[in-house]
Amino acid sequence: MHARSIRRRLLAALTTVALLGGPSLLPVGAQETAPPSDADRIDRLESVVEELRAELEALRADQATPATTPPASDTRDAAFDELARRIDLLASEIEDLRLDEETVVADQSEHGYGPAASKVYRSQPGISLGGYGEFLFESFSSSRDDGSPGGTKDASDTLRAIVYFGYKFDDNWLFNSEIEFEHGGSEVAIEFAYLDRLWKPGLNFRGGHLLLPMGFVNELHEPPVFLGAKRPQIERVILPSTWHENGFGIFGEVGDLSYRSYVVNGMEGAGFSSGGLRGGRQKGNRAISEDLAWVSRLDYSPAPGLLVGGSLYLGDSGQGLESPTGEILGVGTTIYDLHAEWKWRGLELRGLVTHAELDDVAELNRALGKIGSASIGEELDGWYLQAGYDVLSLLDRSAGRQLTPYFRWEQFDTQSAVPTGFSRNPAQDQEIFTLGLDYKPIAPIVIKMDYQDYDNGAGTGLDQFNLAVGYIF
Amino acid sequence: MRETAQSQARTVVVLLLLLATARSGSSEVRLTTDEALALAFPGCSVEREIVYLTDEQREAARDLAGAEIEVRVLHPHVAHCPDEDGELAVAGTAYFDVHRVRTLSETLMIVVSPEGTVQRIEILRFDEPPDYIPRQPWYDQFDQQKLDSDLQLKREIRPVTGATLTAQVTTAAVRRILALHQILSAPPATTDAQR
Repeated sequence: MHARSIRRRLLAALTTVALLGGPSLLPVGAQETAPPSDADRIDRLESVVEELRAELEALRADQATPATTPPASDTRDAAFDELARRIDLLASEIEDLRLDEETVVADQSEHGYGPAASKVYRSQPGISLGGYGEFLFESFSSSRDDGSPGGTKDASDTLRAIVYFGYKFDDNWLFNSEIEFEHGGSEVAIEFAYLDRLWKPGLNFRGGHLLLPMGFVNELHEPPVFLGAKRPQIERVILPSTWHENGFGIFGEVGDLSYRSYVVNGMEGAGFSSGGLRGGRQKGNRAISEDLAWVSRLDYSPAPGLLVGGSLYLGDSGQGLESPTGEILGVGTTIYDLHAEWKWRGLELRGLVTHAELDDVAELNRALGKIGSASIGEELDGWYLQAGYDVLSLLDRSAGRQLTPYFRWEQFDTQSAVPTGFSRNPAQDQEIFTLGLDYKPIAPIVIKMDYQDYDNGAGTGLDQFNLAVGYIF
Repeated sequence: MRETAQSQARTVVVLLLLLATARSGSSEVRLTTDEALALAFPGCSVEREIVYLTDEQREAARDLAGAEIEVRVLHPHVAHCPDEDGELAVAGTAYFDVHRVRTLSETLMIVVSPEGTVQRIEILRFDEPPDYIPRQPWYDQFDQQKLDSDLQLKREIRPVTGATLTAQVTTAAVRRILALHQILSAPPATTDAQR
């Protein structure tokens, strides 16, 4: 092989670079096909460079063999060196393209932040897309704990299909949203849609339609993130996930602490029931805002895998509702939770305790026509403990697969206390044991199955088997 | 209660508006490759090398890392720093790794010590929402880690709730870089590094 051949190769490579980097130079007909992605361009460039490099090395080897080639002249050596230099330049260009160096040029402001991981921002403004979904099959026992017929048909549900849509205006402002299609598309909801003003790690601002920062699941409810085909029942009836309201507030991180604090429209007490607070969510749909609420969360993470925190919700839920005597009801609502999580090797432990108190419940019951054991709870209590262990983490090569048997034990009562003149329904005093298996062939996809043993004070618990498939992208 | 809450809310609104409209005292700086290298090797000279990986090297690295090696051209940045006697000695080698987190990419600088352990990790770029970046103590777990079967999530590296995918791809990137470094640092008889 002659050096001229190498030059021809190099010319071909440079032509390739030009074509890959400048599709606008192509004839119109050639532009009808989709342009290659950056990754494709990098791969093809690397192939060209690698090929050139190998040929150059082969040529050098040939030149070094006296039997087949004449002694190399200084001119030829210089040509080889120049070719090698140009190839290295091409390789460097590839690296710059891979790193997208232009987008990480530093601002030269003298007041700029010091370089640290916590100060990294997305480099380019623009649109971002993501999503998750889950499918659920529930098979119910044919009879209840007391032997009475179960009366609930097995069901399968396209529970959720979610699209995340975000737009980054610049390094200070971004929009983020979650649009949810539930139950096969029969329900559509915006679970959050907010604007962020990013200022400092310790203080940023958020406004719009927000997820309330309470418990574990309300903010982190993507199926691969939590164990269980179904969410913990406590995080449905007392902490009514998915709980999203209109509001604004601040968030940030200071050292090992992170916080979020929002003012939101209050719940609508008229939606409360003996079964919990879930019906009090307004979900941003022309939310009555006669009463506001304040919700805050503080988490402490002193070590990787360890999280301890709590959240508090304070506000009125009357929303202008009048008692039978014409008095506007306040329905003061206080909810708090304390939570902790510990992840160590394949083990993950999670615990949560929550308590809620409502004011003016007797008047609220009368205003809503609730009598006897249909009373809304004046106090609601619940807790759960959960443990799982990824047994595949014991293998040296799990190839990203995870297999986690898990167990959850939860107890709650949505009528821990009721006003004088009303009675508690023992069926609201519940205990649920969940035993299941969580399998992730790859991290973003999960298959979960579990058996749930429902017990309650009335002996009417109905056990069920669940199978769920979830994904995230 | 309602009047009190609304009054407090009004006060908070005014405060937030004042804060949000206030000019921030500092403008953000993204971490460039030069900045990252200066951060890792202050006062040192850094030589950018180019390594054209052979198929054999990539296969060996794949076996060590437990994952495919897609890159074919590697750019180690070798830092030479003054030792106690003022002589320049290799203080570490920095590699830049670009990988996809969820749908968008992340660029990391991973510094490998002369002993082949993780010396430092810096994020240069993170295109996903900042919520998906683990906190700094999570990255600190990699300090002095060597490439072995314990360098995995749910082994020596603890997972993190809310940033699961970032944790996974970061751990994979570290394994990939340590494997490549190990291959390139092996005696010449078993490697074919061209530079």
